Amino acid sequence: MKLIDPRLDPWHTAAAEPGAPVRLRPHLLLTLAQWRATRDAWLPPLAPDRLSARVPVGVCLDNDAELSDVVPDLHLLSLVVLQFPKWTDGRAYSQARLLRARHRYGGELRASGQVLADMLPLLARTGFDSAQLELGQDRATAERALGWFGGHYQVDARHALPWFLREAA
Amino acid sequence: MYRYTDFDRSFLRARAAQFRHQLARHLAGELSDDAFKPWRLQNGWYVQRHAPMLRVAVPYGELSAFQLRTLARVAREFDHRDVGQASERGGFGHFTTRHNLQFNWIPLAAAADVMDVLAQADLHGIQTSGNCIRNITSDAWAGIAPDEVVDPRPYCELLRQWSTLHPEFAFLPRKFKIAVTGAKEDRTASAWHDIGLGLRRNEHGEVGFRVSVGGGMGRTPLLGRVAAEFVPWSQILLFLEAIVRTYNLYGRRDQLYKSRIKILVRAEGQRFLDAVQQEFAALLGDDDPAATNLIPQSRLDAMSRHFEAPAPLPEDEAAPADPQGVASASSPAFTRWLQRNVHDHRVAGYRAVTLSLKRPGQPPGDVSAQQMEAAAELAERFSRSELRVTHRQNLLLPWVRRVDLPALWSAARELGFGLPNAGLLSDMIACPGGDLCALANARSLPLAAAIAERFDDLDQQHDIGDIDLHISGCINSCGHHHSGHIGILGVDKDGSEWYQVTVGGTDGSARGGQAEAGKVIGPAFSAEEVPDAVEALIDTYLGQRWPGERFIDTVRRLGSMPFRQAADAIRAAGLAPAAPGLADQTHEPVIA
Repeated sequence: MKLIDPRLDPWHTAAAEPGAPVRLRPHLLLTLAQWRATRDAWLPPLAPDRLSARVPVGVCLDNDAELSDVVPDLHLLSLVVLQFPKWTDGRAYSQARLLRARHRYGGELRASGQVLADMLPLLARTGFDSAQLELGQDRATAERALGWFGGHYQVDARHALPWFLREAA
Repeated sequence: MYRYTDFDRSFLRARAAQFRHQLARHLAGELSDDAFKPWRLQNGWYVQRHAPMLRVAVPYGELSAFQLRTLARVAREFDHRDVGQASERGGFGHFTTRHNLQFNWIPLAAAADVMDVLAQADLHGIQTSGNCIRNITSDAWAGIAPDEVVDPRPYCELLRQWSTLHPEFAFLPRKFKIAVTGAKEDRTASAWHDIGLGLRRNEHGEVGFRVSVGGGMGRTPLLGRVAAEFVPWSQILLFLEAIVRTYNLYGRRDQLYKSRIKILVRAEGQRFLDAVQQEFAALLGDDDPAATNLIPQSRLDAMSRHFEAPAPLPEDEAAPADPQGVASASSPAFTRWLQRNVHDHRVAGYRAVTLSLKRPGQPPGDVSAQQMEAAAELAERFSRSELRVTHRQNLLLPWVRRVDLPALWSAARELGFGLPNAGLLSDMIACPGGDLCALANARSLPLAAAIAERFDDLDQQHDIGDIDLHISGCINSCGHHHSGHIGILGVDKDGSEWYQVTVGGTDGSARGGQAEAGKVIGPAFSAEEVPDAVEALIDTYLGQRWPGERFIDTVRRLGSMPFRQAADAIRAAGLAPAAPGLADQTHEPVIA
């Protein structure tokens, strides 16, 4: 689990009208509306020399977004950011699980918003591989939070073999 | 009983260590109240009127004598104060309707130590509170009931494991309760649950679940509706995931009182059920198979071995010449106890016995440390060291040899568990109410005591017969007033306690027929009036009943009006001309 240091993070949002196309440049983190307006510029392979072949792009989804809006484009995305507007709102855990296990998204999956240190085990197990902690959260505590359990009962993004199978084997 | 594996034990130790760390950070000021609260709740620590309340899980109601002794140790060593009235000094636990035991007087600073003690007996408070999947409940007669179709316990344990620290479902819109029954009679109130699971066999003899969804009490009492008539057992976790995921993504989070799944199910109706079916199909068809919680046959077989019945009894004991065991029942008191507290068993030669926790002078479901140890001793002597915690807040000994009944009866009486009142009026369900609970609008326990005192004549209770009296101190309905044949709900009006009375509610068990919410019989009563009102209801029943009719049957036949009129008659004599109804409730309690 990668903890994002905002000072070193290459990803940045694009200041543009919500529906207007965004000028291509690396590590743009777009809203769904911005992505829709811009995606054609990324689409390979119409022009192999297009910037898109080398330029990573990311999309940030609200936690009430319909995943079907982004699923066809997952292979184009290097980063998907899911939101915790309040840390006790657990919708993004389900979104993460669906992106990984159903839609086989293989890029970076990042938790953003009110992300607290003690949430890390849940994030890791639902398929997140990076997190931007809320300001003031302690990195060492967050890293330690990942280490309490040697195993879990259910299948999850970290352990493909569930306990149900392991004990019977 | 399920025997913990090394994995289970190391898991509990890890959970206790994690909680100890969180607690230390909280006590050191590094973890704020808000950031600590959900973690403490999901370990069973709920801040109450006097101190944190600890809710310990007894998964699907199975409890060993050793575990009960450990709970007694917690009551004795941790749950006590040296000040206040006798009833405020702690040293006791309270069994709830959901196979939990609650302690009320443990200081938060001792919380981690308590979790360590509990873990030594394979006990914990995981997910007994918070907006997550709660302790799985089942039939206290699971595995021993003569009317059982499939033993639910192996499935309950699989559900316990699946739901324990499920990473996707730790922060649902609201709490989530699942009940599992495997018998013809539903003794789990499954229709009143977020999900009710009923084990059944299809025409090919295959085992599966009938699934209902969207039941719940609270201020919007709703019964679950059928989401599937038959889900094969191996796929049940996937079907549950489909329901809980749909709820997690689409359940309301804007208002606490609109956040239970019942509100989503009611609002969306068939669209919700279609969404669940679609999600279920995708889980089976589209997902990475390695990410799927399908239950293999080998796993079920291994799990079932934990719940095997003991070797059969010798033939003369299993099929005795005197099958009722009444030869020694010379005394009418013993006969009465056999009638009420001794239950048929699916294994020849055994009986199940209710140890009554409804005694004069003690709140329903309460047990002192000493009583816990006494009950543990009875389990060791008479029931293969096993007990069950029942939905009606009693203890049940599931493995009593028929020949031991006279000895058990005399021991149970001596230890204060022998009252032959199972299923009678004094066998009422009550939440802890305003004496202990910070949410309550009104006290439940003095009311329970006053009613028990009014009907303290056991002969009279036996004459009245089967009846469910349920008391909740507030609309959160922990005392299940909606499902009481007589239900009593504490309401608050300008800071004083009032009680709204309903009749005709049922939990779905055979004695009341199909589950249904009770009907309110007019404005609320004052605490002083309630025993009179209950007596008026009972008198109406006694006066109107047909031979063999139970209270609930008479209510169904006559409707609530005669009962309302009778209760109103006592009101005229009282001093409450402007008693409030539910609409006047000003207080909006919040339960975690």
